[in-house]
Amino acid sequence: MPHINYEDKELVFKIVYYGPGLSGKTTNLVYIHNALDRDKRGDIIVLDTEEERTLFFDFFPLHLGRIEGYQVKFNMFTVPGQVYYEASRRLILEGADGVVFVADSALSRMEENIESFLMLQNNLESFGVDWRVFPITLQYNKRDLPLLIPLGSIEKRLGLNGMPVTESVATDGTGVMETIRLASRLVIERFQI
Amino acid sequence: MVVKRGVKKSEVAAVLEKLIEKSGSLTGLLITKEGVSFAEAGDTSYLNTTAMAALVAGMFSATREVARLVGEDQFSILLQQGENRHIHISLIQDSGMMVVIFEGYERIGRVRHEARKTGEELSKMITDKEEKRQEESREKKEKGEGIIATSQFKEYALNAIDRIFETR
Ligand SMILES: Nc1nc2c(ncn2[C@@H]2O[C@H](COP(=O)(O)OP(=O)(O)OP(=O)(O)O)[C@@H](O)[C@H]2O)c(=O)[nH]1
Ligand SMILES: [Mg+2]
Repeated sequence: MPHINYEDKELVFKIVYYGPGLSGKTTNLVYIHNALDRDKRGDIIVLDTEEERTLFFDFFPLHLGRIEGYQVKFNMFTVPGQVYYEASRRLILEGADGVVFVADSALSRMEENIESFLMLQNNLESFGVDWRVFPITLQYNKRDLPLLIPLGSIEKRLGLNGMPVTESVATDGTGVMETIRLASRLVIERFQI
Repeated sequence: MVVKRGVKKSEVAAVLEKLIEKSGSLTGLLITKEGVSFAEAGDTSYLNTTAMAALVAGMFSATREVARLVGEDQFSILLQQGENRHIHISLIQDSGMMVVIFEGYERIGRVRHEARKTGEELSKMITDKEEKRQEESREKKEKGEGIIATSQFKEYALNAIDRIFETR
């Protein structure tokens, strides 16, 4: 459920970029931040290690504008993908209104994608969230690589369907805005209050 | 989310303002577990409160995990001591955080004392209002009213999204 401030008429949604280590979550977020007009974004916070691996999270606030009297914002987060940061991942995911799952399309990374998606389902369940109806957008990133997992292979392995799916090359921005567009649309469509 | 519908931002800010005054502190904030700043008091001109809220919420949840590792449920107070400025953070009802920024470490006794009192006051406000809110939302549900998520609202929001994330 989004944060609502009735007095100031402010509505804040939380969108989380989730996925295995090095799949391109931070690259997505940084690209979006750079692409937005200044009046639509706040400062970005990047909490990473010396090797630029996300240690805790990346974050920036995105201002959608005033809609029906409400100032609508999306707080955008990434989680750390490395396996041993599971505790941090859970903390950041809590309270999310929508998730972008950034999959690594490298053929060799299939199992990491599956493991990470199962962890996402697990985490959502532990918050009492039914992941079957929760807004998740699946992004097949790194489509510029030579050896790729086929589109649809992750859904097939996990028996999922009906999820919006995108293809991207986050390093040059291809598909990045389309992914967040679909993800935030889904969040708004599912939103009830 | 702790700070529910029915708890007014201005009421919380007034309580925080009192705390700032009595303890001689610089700034007070109430932050939700989701990392959103709900109410602010004192001088906030030097502070990016959006970033502050996201970071403090992260810090507090990390601390909760650390607490669990040593067999505690949570450390209810965090104290950060700097060169000139210091931060006192206390947990309000397991999901909100009250942040007090102050100068002069000799004030810590007063800050701690006032923060405890204010924390109790805020807890009480939040609980009272929460009960009322649940009643209200039950009534609303029975009547089948949407409060914000009307089809009009959604249509405008979706249009704004398409505009902002239009592929250039
Ligand atoms: N070839 C290629 N490389 C990419 C793409 N997207 C990201 N990368 C690279 O992959 C590496 C990891 O990207 P990050 O965005 O830091 O990955 P992350 O998911 O945030 O990683 P963690 O924070 O460790 O979970 C970087 O070197 C990026 O430049 C892509 O679409 N194609
Ligand atoms: Mg990262």
